[in-house]
Amino acid sequence: MSQQRTIRVVLVDDHHMFRTGVRAELMSAATPGGGSGSAGARPAAPTYAPQIVGEAGAVESATSVIKETRPDVVLLDVHIPGGDGHGGADVIRACAGVQTEAGQPVRFLALSVSDAAEDVIAVIRAGARGYVTKTISAGDLLTAIGRVADGDAVFSPRLAGFVLDAFGAAAGEVAEIDEELDRLSAREREVMRLIARGYQYKEVAKELFISIKTVETHVSSVLRKLQLSSRHELTAWAMGRRLL
Amino acid sequence: MTTRTEPSQPVPQPAVLRPAVLRPPLVRPTDGRIIGGVAAGLAVHLGVPVKMVRIGFLVAAVPFGAGLAVYVFLWATMREGTLAPAPSPVDPAQIAQPGQPGQPGQLSAGVRPAATPSAAATPGVAAPAPGAEPGHRVPTSKSLRAWLRSGNEAVVIALLGVVALGIAAALWLGSAGIGVEPQVLLPVVVIAIGALFFWSQLDDADPVGARRPVQWIWLIVGLSLTTLGLVGLLVGQTDVGQIWQVAGAVLAALVGVAVLAAPWILRLWSNLRREQAARIRATERADIAAHLHDSVLQTLALIQRRAADPAVVARLARAQERQLRSYLYDEDARAGTLGAALTAALDEIEDLHGVPVELVVTGDRSMDEHLEALVKAVREAAWNAVRHGEPPVTAYVEVGPTAVEAFVRDHGTGFSLDDVPDDRAGVRESIIGRMERHGGTATIRRRSDGTEIELCLPVEAPTTAPSQPEEENA
Repeated sequence: MSQQRTIRVVLVDDHHMFRTGVRAELMSAATPGGGSGSAGARPAAPTYAPQIVGEAGAVESATSVIKETRPDVVLLDVHIPGGDGHGGADVIRACAGVQTEAGQPVRFLALSVSDAAEDVIAVIRAGARGYVTKTISAGDLLTAIGRVADGDAVFSPRLAGFVLDAFGAAAGEVAEIDEELDRLSAREREVMRLIARGYQYKEVAKELFISIKTVETHVSSVLRKLQLSSRHELTAWAMGRRLL
Repeated sequence: MTTRTEPSQPVPQPAVLRPAVLRPPLVRPTDGRIIGGVAAGLAVHLGVPVKMVRIGFLVAAVPFGAGLAVYVFLWATMREGTLAPAPSPVDPAQIAQPGQPGQPGQLSAGVRPAATPSAAATPGVAAPAPGAEPGHRVPTSKSLRAWLRSGNEAVVIALLGVVALGIAAALWLGSAGIGVEPQVLLPVVVIAIGALFFWSQLDDADPVGARRPVQWIWLIVGLSLTTLGLVGLLVGQTDVGQIWQVAGAVLAALVGVAVLAAPWILRLWSNLRREQAARIRATERADIAAHLHDSVLQTLALIQRRAADPAVVARLARAQERQLRSYLYDEDARAGTLGAALTAALDEIEDLHGVPVELVVTGDRSMDEHLEALVKAVREAAWNAVRHGEPPVTAYVEVGPTAVEAFVRDHGTGFSLDDVPDDRAGVRESIIGRMERHGGTATIRRRSDGTEIELCLPVEAPTTAPSQPEEENA
């Protein structure tokens, strides 16, 4: 694997056991043939080589480790102690503006035991580029890390479902113009629906006869709307849970 | 009438649950009371008919109001609470909530049913006041009951009762040859009324001690009356010019006492609140501990015993996770909706087959027979997927304004309907036939890496918009 791209990763999780597990899994998944999980279904060789440059178990230590190591991607547990009690969202806020050596912003991939909206929306709105559940297979996690490192967004089916709900897309609301923050465009809605149905990006691309890059653009645009929208339900929902 | 009992917090009771309880605890029930619940509570405690206790109090009230004094004393000192079912006037249906031993009355007062006519009436007035013996179950309309609950009943009864009592006492004393001077009698009556106003509000606080504005008015009225009466009693014999001086002195003294006592009272109050909060937290913790013990620990034990069998372990872990999740996120609130029915159906499949089905639902609506059919079709499709397909199996259900669409997808090699023998009822009958009978459609798409079954069921526009966006936790 000569073309592997090295991604510097910081692991933030308050469970030491989990950090150890993820580290081992990422290492074995990055080596060809050592991949596990759903590797059988997706035989594509990994093109990313994660390099874990730091670990932390609380908001304060995570912030200092991230500022010190300036990684490409931070794998961020949603529930970690310290800070203002908002867990991962506090880390993202504290690390706003930190850049990697290449001048890219440090990207955050949220990680949670549950993918209940309660856990996820706060970190997404704080600035995470995506989130995955802790039950994710190593191969999928590696793909997600790579995608986030490239500045794309990672949506799980459930997050897509929440987006469709929150933007009223399930009820048929569609934005007139793409720039509208409070509604999804027709195409974004299509992409979200397919992701909610469990489609991978490349399957979405095939289904809609568009390129994977276009799918990624749509997903990133939805992520931006999710982060910036002042849509009433979304904000009220977050306010009700004191996430904002 | 201003007895030595203080209108303070009900005194802490000694351990209510003694090992060998011979008698029910002495508490004032929140139900079945006429005035303060003293007689009812006493009757239960002593095991005598409540009528006897009431008559006893009335009779005892005749000589110098001794019975009244006892009543007031008991009222001030007895803890408010709920009674165990006992031969009592308490309506058994009303005492479903568990008793809370050791808690101040205010806490248990907060959990009593809102409709309970808790007549915060006053003591000492039962004898002469005609309205004070209104019968056991007064059929009151709702608005009247609400009015009574606002504390007005107490005041009215107090006024009537104290005035009547005062007149009776004056007549009695007068006929006995003891001259009663109005300058003395009037302030005493005023003090009594004020005290009753004040105490009448003791029982009606919310769990946090919050009071309705009207109750504050009564409190202030009571306090003013009492103060006025005291001042009147003290300065009754002196001339009017000095009253202002005395009033000023009294005011100064009160302010001084208030300034001195305020920090203490505040400290006491905050301590009490902290203690209450700690107790609530402890109760919650005990609740959670009990739940964890019943579910998580048992599952962990099972997992340890079956550690050699990864499939069983995974299944146990998933089942436990689901249970814990529904406990944490209170999924009961969604009972009766499509989302809940789908979650239940797919959970069942997972339990039976050990393959997780990831479910995403957007929107929601309450169940009807057509949606019931859709749920069954989705269940059948997922059942097919876990048996013949490859995981991950995903289900996505979108509740739109005009139709409910469902997609069940697996990553197996897929199948074509033509390959399925006609005698297999699964797909043709349980999915396609069922959907068509209910006016919907079912399509099976074979893809390069799996099969997707699409179900579509037209529905009428929802009468109630789906509530806030809520994610499933399959």
